[in-house]
Amino acid sequence: MQIGSEQVWLHMAQYNLEGCQSVDLAEHPSGIVPTLQNIVSTVNLGCKLDLKIIALQARNAEYNPKVCTGAKSEEQSKLAARKYARVVQKVGFQAQFMDFKVQNVVASCDVKFPIRLERLALHHNAFCSFEPEIFPGLIYRMKDPKIVLLIFVSGKIVLTGAKSRDQIKRGFEQIYPVVLEYRKVPQIGNEGKDSRDPVPRQLT
Amino acid sequence: MADASFCPDCKRSTEVVLDHSAGDMVCLECGLVLEAHSIDETSEWRTFANESSENDPVRVGGPSNPLLTDGGLSTVIAKPNGAQGDFLSSSLGRWQTRGSNPDRSLILAFRTIANMADRLGLVATIKDRANEIYKKVEDLKSIRGRNQDAILAACLYIACRQEDRPRTVKEICSVANGATKKEIGRAKEYIVKQLEVEMGQSMEMGTIHAGDFLRRFCSHLGMSNQAVKAAQEAVQKSEELDIRRSPISIAAAVIYMITQLSEEKKPLRDISLATGVAEGTIRNSYKDLYPYASRIIPASFAKEEDLKNLCSP
Repeated sequence: MQIGSEQVWLHMAQYNLEGCQSVDLAEHPSGIVPTLQNIVSTVNLGCKLDLKIIALQARNAEYNPKVCTGAKSEEQSKLAARKYARVVQKVGFQAQFMDFKVQNVVASCDVKFPIRLERLALHHNAFCSFEPEIFPGLIYRMKDPKIVLLIFVSGKIVLTGAKSRDQIKRGFEQIYPVVLEYRKVPQIGNEGKDSRDPVPRQLT
Repeated sequence: MADASFCPDCKRSTEVVLDHSAGDMVCLECGLVLEAHSIDETSEWRTFANESSENDPVRVGGPSNPLLTDGGLSTVIAKPNGAQGDFLSSSLGRWQTRGSNPDRSLILAFRTIANMADRLGLVATIKDRANEIYKKVEDLKSIRGRNQDAILAACLYIACRQEDRPRTVKEICSVANGATKKEIGRAKEYIVKQLEVEMGQSMEMGTIHAGDFLRRFCSHLGMSNQAVKAAQEAVQKSEELDIRRSPISIAAAVIYMITQLSEEKKPLRDISLATGVAEGTIRNSYKDLYPYASRIIPASFAKEEDLKNLCSP
């Protein structure tokens, strides 16, 4: 937990929830549900805090401006925020719990097939940035919802910059058909590229 | 020598002759001097075709640079030969730096880019494009606080990419003054974003391919023409495969494979030096490529038995 004078930033740690429950295809037409990895949120405690005193008196507190801990789901994030507010209260400050807001949600998922990143970058030039020398993943900046997706050759996709779980879901459902178009078909003893060249489509 | 012009004394068009010794135009009929001290605009000295063209006396100064404010017409006081002490502290030096030359930083930047381009052996087109890119970025003023070396290196990198003669970031690093790969990468992203905002979608830079660098790497290593051709074909075919490696590493691994198959085997160290890829990475990429060796190596270069001789990673 990072405590500034009034606002508290909470980064919640990651954990892996392998989706063992069945997927509702009405909600997720692609059949894949992205798993949340990290949630960053802020809350306003409404009073000035003395960081030294909190660091000395509270348990589990380090006064290290760069430290972050992590979160799993929005409810857990809120719960943790309340717990920390309680800790601060116990130390003696008049902490309130105002304006809890989730700032960033990070999720990851796997489409389970390799992707032709170069073709995708070529056709969706306006949104993609692919520099294999700099970073092996393709950076896709989606406009609506405004999120950033890191797409890798293996088929793993990381979505970040979302403010809610719904944005993650919508973003993924939008990118799934695009990524399907650029699926890498393993050629066995067949020279030459696949003739079907995907037509570039405009994504919002 | 004789021309026709209107003579005010004769009041008609008469023949006029140009006297070069005094620069007079004299009417042939009445002798009236129509124009005195006319300036001779022909060349001052003779130039012969077989003389050295290094200092063509007809031309003065360097080529005009459209990127500078007035085409680069300003004059610079040069440091005199055999001058003792620091030029800047002398009176001449002070007068030079006090002059309000709006392009000072621009000229310095162009000089740095020219230095880097020379060390890499780049042609003037790439250098000029890099200068243009730098000027456009400079105009935006938002790069003030940023690492100047990284920005210049990134301009050069982008120019190489736009001219379809890409250079690896590591190569640019080697001539850039202390900029790291990461910094250059960040600067490049920044510049591309700024220029796209300014000028709309005009940054057409395709992704890099292993084939773009192959020719150069092979010539650094002194490979035979046959080997180079085989390597190019092999790299083309390898693009179909599902190999998750940087294109440079793939190029290095292909070169290693091809040289192992030919007579002049190059040690890993030479290939590592020429491509900038670490030896361990080449070994790992070779491991990934080995199963497909028969598919990517052209049959004209090596037969099946030779491929068996290829050492297993």
